[in-house]
Amino acid sequence: MNQVLTILLIGLIALIGNWIGYGVGPAESLPGILLLAVVTLIGMGFTKILPFKSPVIVWISLFAMIATSPIFPGNAFIAAAIAKINLLALATPILAYAGLSLGKDIHLFKELSWRIVVVSLVVFTGTFLFATLFAEIVFKIQGKF
Amino acid sequence: MTEGRANVYKLHLLVLALVAVTEFIGTKKINIGIGVIALFPMLYALVLGGVISWPKFKFLKEKEMNAAANILGVSFLLFIAKLGANIGPELPKLLGSGVSLLVQEVGHIVGTIALGLPVALWLGLKRESIGATYSLDREPNLAIIVDKFGANSAEARGALGVYICGTLFGAIYMSILASLLGSSGLFHPISLAMGAAVGSGSMMAAATGSLAVIFPEATEDIAFYSGAANLMMSIVGTYVCIFVSLPLTQRLYKWLEPVIGRKNASTTEGGRRSA
Repeated sequence: MNQVLTILLIGLIALIGNWIGYGVGPAESLPGILLLAVVTLIGMGFTKILPFKSPVIVWISLFAMIATSPIFPGNAFIAAAIAKINLLALATPILAYAGLSLGKDIHLFKELSWRIVVVSLVVFTGTFLFATLFAEIVFKIQGKF
Repeated sequence: MTEGRANVYKLHLLVLALVAVTEFIGTKKINIGIGVIALFPMLYALVLGGVISWPKFKFLKEKEMNAAANILGVSFLLFIAKLGANIGPELPKLLGSGVSLLVQEVGHIVGTIALGLPVALWLGLKRESIGATYSLDREPNLAIIVDKFGANSAEARGALGVYICGTLFGAIYMSILASLLGSSGLFHPISLAMGAAVGSGSMMAAATGSLAVIFPEATEDIAFYSGAANLMMSIVGTYVCIFVSLPLTQRLYKWLEPVIGRKNASTTEGGRRSA
């Protein structure tokens, strides 16, 4: 119940963000937000009833893909409703919550040496850069761009 | 989940205020000579949120910050649902890029080690470097390291260090990196979108956000391919970490440490001793 409420509140915040930032009115956003909330909750519930541990992200992605794919009844409506929700409007609340959680790690950060900070930046760069580079090379070989 | 109700609502209200203000300010692009930096609402929200949670101000209690971290995980799930819904209508396109999806995942996995391990050893880190560089060190990776080496091991100390840095400035750093790589003209937005799916919610959101600002005409593609790459990561990520990344990093450490490593052992506890 707690999770349902949390999802709906985050959805409400994203709906307001979608209005202020991207000019999509609340009535227009509402179906898309509710559909996203439903898919997310189904994914979370499904992960819980499975007898083995699995990443919730996989199931939510999968259900969202199925619900908007041509095989699913009403897929065109679902896809169009969700398309009204700007991706960035959903991302801003994530980083707002992230910001509000930062304070708890500041005292831990003071204990770290500058070396690990440098290594962290190199690690972040490495994963982004290598994946981008590898993807670029494959697309180039395939002649896609 | 023992947080009282009132303080959770305080968090939601703060986030609502942050979203309203930052979305109102909107997107700005700044040319800094070596490239374009994208400034957009989620970054302001992150920084302002960080200021609000700054311990000196005593505005948020530690348990409220922990609750915010939990809600952050839940809010990422809605973002994931949106990415999935973006893929559904064009499933065949996904199969068409299967090879690059697989190969870029290898890039995500080896990238941290290939770039991170040599630098860590060169800086004088010892076994900390294994935990620090075998992955991006988010929660699941941290659990793997603690499970294998114990919470007080050097490896766990390294992993925790990168984890803390990731939490504190991973998102900001990723958005700057995405801006610079994006405006460099070296890469196609689709490749960058795949690269942005690094396996951390906040870092991925910030990186894809930057790309969407730099390449406004490719927003749909960016969401599509970063969503697909993120799905790939979430399916294989943990298993690859345990069975490939970690053993690989340990082996490389054995080979490289005598070559690059420094004579004087220095540890990640250096904060108290040096700098």
